[in-house]
Amino acid sequence: MDAARREVLRALMASGCAAGLGGVATLGNLGAPRPAFAQDEAVGPALAAPGAGDLPLTPARWWKALDEGRVECGLCPKKCRVADLERGACGVRENRGGRYYTLVHSRPCSLNLDPIEKKPLYHVLPGTASLSLATPGCNFQCRFCQNWEIAQARPEQVPTFVLTPVQAAALAVQRRAPTIACTYTEPVVYAEYVHDIAVAARKANVRTVMVSNGAIMEEPLDDLIGVLAAVKIDLKAYTEKFYKEVCGGELKPVLDTLRRLKKKGMWIEIVVLVIPTLNDGEAEARGLARFVRDDLGPEVPVHFTRFHPAYRIQNLPRTPVTTLERARDIAMAEGLQFVYVGNVAGHPGNHTWCPVCGELLIRRVGLAVTDIRITAGRCPKCRRAIPGIWS
Amino acid sequence: MKDCDRDRRRLLRLLAAAPVAAAVVGAARAADAGALPGPPPSPRSAPSRAVVARGRRDGLLDGSGAIDRARLDDLLGAAVARAAAAATPVAAMKRLFRPADVVGLKVNALAGGGPAPAPALVGRLCDWLQEAGVPARNIVVFDRTDRELTGAGFTINRGPAGVRCFGTNQEYDWTPREWGPGGSCFAKILVDDITALINVGALKDHDLAGVSVGLKNWYGVIHNPNKHHDEGCQPFIPHLAAYPLIGDRLRLTVIDGIRAQCHGGPARNPRWIWPWQGVIASTDPVAVDAVGWAMIEARRREVGLPSLAESKREPRYIAAAESIGLGVADMKKIAIEEI
Repeated sequence: MDAARREVLRALMASGCAAGLGGVATLGNLGAPRPAFAQDEAVGPALAAPGAGDLPLTPARWWKALDEGRVECGLCPKKCRVADLERGACGVRENRGGRYYTLVHSRPCSLNLDPIEKKPLYHVLPGTASLSLATPGCNFQCRFCQNWEIAQARPEQVPTFVLTPVQAAALAVQRRAPTIACTYTEPVVYAEYVHDIAVAARKANVRTVMVSNGAIMEEPLDDLIGVLAAVKIDLKAYTEKFYKEVCGGELKPVLDTLRRLKKKGMWIEIVVLVIPTLNDGEAEARGLARFVRDDLGPEVPVHFTRFHPAYRIQNLPRTPVTTLERARDIAMAEGLQFVYVGNVAGHPGNHTWCPVCGELLIRRVGLAVTDIRITAGRCPKCRRAIPGIWS
Repeated sequence: MKDCDRDRRRLLRLLAAAPVAAAVVGAARAADAGALPGPPPSPRSAPSRAVVARGRRDGLLDGSGAIDRARLDDLLGAAVARAAAAATPVAAMKRLFRPADVVGLKVNALAGGGPAPAPALVGRLCDWLQEAGVPARNIVVFDRTDRELTGAGFTINRGPAGVRCFGTNQEYDWTPREWGPGGSCFAKILVDDITALINVGALKDHDLAGVSVGLKNWYGVIHNPNKHHDEGCQPFIPHLAAYPLIGDRLRLTVIDGIRAQCHGGPARNPRWIWPWQGVIASTDPVAVDAVGWAMIEARRREVGLPSLAESKREPRYIAAAESIGLGVADMKKIAIEEI
């Protein structure tokens, strides 16, 4: 274990963008105060004080008018019916006089330069930086939310600043980040902003990726699929009970989203945060693995990551590494080819291995990539094609 | 360092960790049994009867829509006194509050101009509190935002003198608290300062909860009200109202029914506003909602609207509030004292 720790420290020192475990301030614009949750390098303009000024009103997409000035949101499966001056469950979309608006377009609360491994998207341009941003808000209410200070807050409750999609794209180019990641909170609730960022970024030869819970309706999903390069879905569990009781959501729409993403050719990776006693059963891991294998394909990467107490679940311990290893073993036994262990630095399950010959393809230490042996998208030893976005 | 010292320290560390480990195992077992983290609601014994003081006065609103202060004084004073079984409103305040209390008046200012508590009504409550010995600085009129308060006609006062009045805005105690089915951060003023509460609500329809009278008003003290709107806000409304920060401090509920709204709420919708020109008051927070609901249903019938049950918006949370001992929802057990 000491050896692994030393390796992590060495890798951190060697990596210019491995600030996730220590924080490295090398980029400009660092006079800005950092929000409490910021884990990596803050690169944005100065944050406005929470609640400062009126929130911007940008017409929302994907909604319809109802009677008595009410509207029905068409963005996520909750399909909130929202009366005048009220907001949807996300807290960032408001009815004003019978018209629906987003309050967070171009108003992120977090902007950092992360390793893309942090998303985690292990099969997308490994070892590169991703300009990562978020606005406040989420359509779920996970009791274990790791970023609850921003995800479970309303936009007037956290500091935000102005960053237009064009500015975001320009910043990514300036920082040599080949991707922009819409992440940290729930990009679905700021889908208009995600879409516009992706359009602007594409013009600047920057790809956009999204880290989402997958609770989104078909129409906005299709609109995003048209402009995104990759999506990581947090599959919170494999039971409706967990979704309802722990997340305030539903499982089925998330599975539908995963199927649709796959069908439309989007690169997807899946993360499962394994929480002791709540979603760590063997049968659940097996069911989940079979769903991925049968409905999405065995090449879809699945990450079993470690839970740390957060937000409203403070009374459960961190996930034992053996639990993650067991879930990984089950998934691999069911035929999944790229199964990872996450949030456990130095674990062999962080690396990418060739599913045919067992060759080590990508070596990771924490969030840092220390070796990439994939050549032209193939295993250097057996020449097996390795799925992902490599260039 | 001596080896024995090191061993001693290691032993002490292990001993210190043991109860923690035991607690973790215990918690894990509880979760195994299907219990998610979070305390159960406070056990309460439901009262068997409740008194609700209710009254209206023709001419409370004059021809221009302004409030007749003298009529309001007379009506509101009688309602508050009757609610507390006292002779005068000041005696009522003395009975309910101590001079050392920091009294928060949570108003529901969303629908500024009505249906919402009028500043004149809230001002009289503050006057009587002061006459009862509560210093002006120990009185706080508050709602979610400065904007909503000013929109309802209140004057923001964060200064050193006089009754304070402000929106809690982003000022929350950022410690998530479990309150049964929900979890939230609460307004800092409620956590740090206030020791007693008056709920000053409106009499209005609510698109999701059915009605918003008194109990729904407490959504304005948590940082995430939008997370608790499913299923007609049930079981969230009663459990939030029972949370000790609220339930243990609430002494009086006063509802401004000068302008009430029977449909299209919670925002102001002039089409459905009617000038009831009255107030409701009680020390039973559930009975107030039960009475208010009945009044809104009656008005809906008068204007040809379907009942809330027919609209699938029956405020089920009121009966649920009784079931956890928060007050009386059964109209047969509520004595309405007309003023």
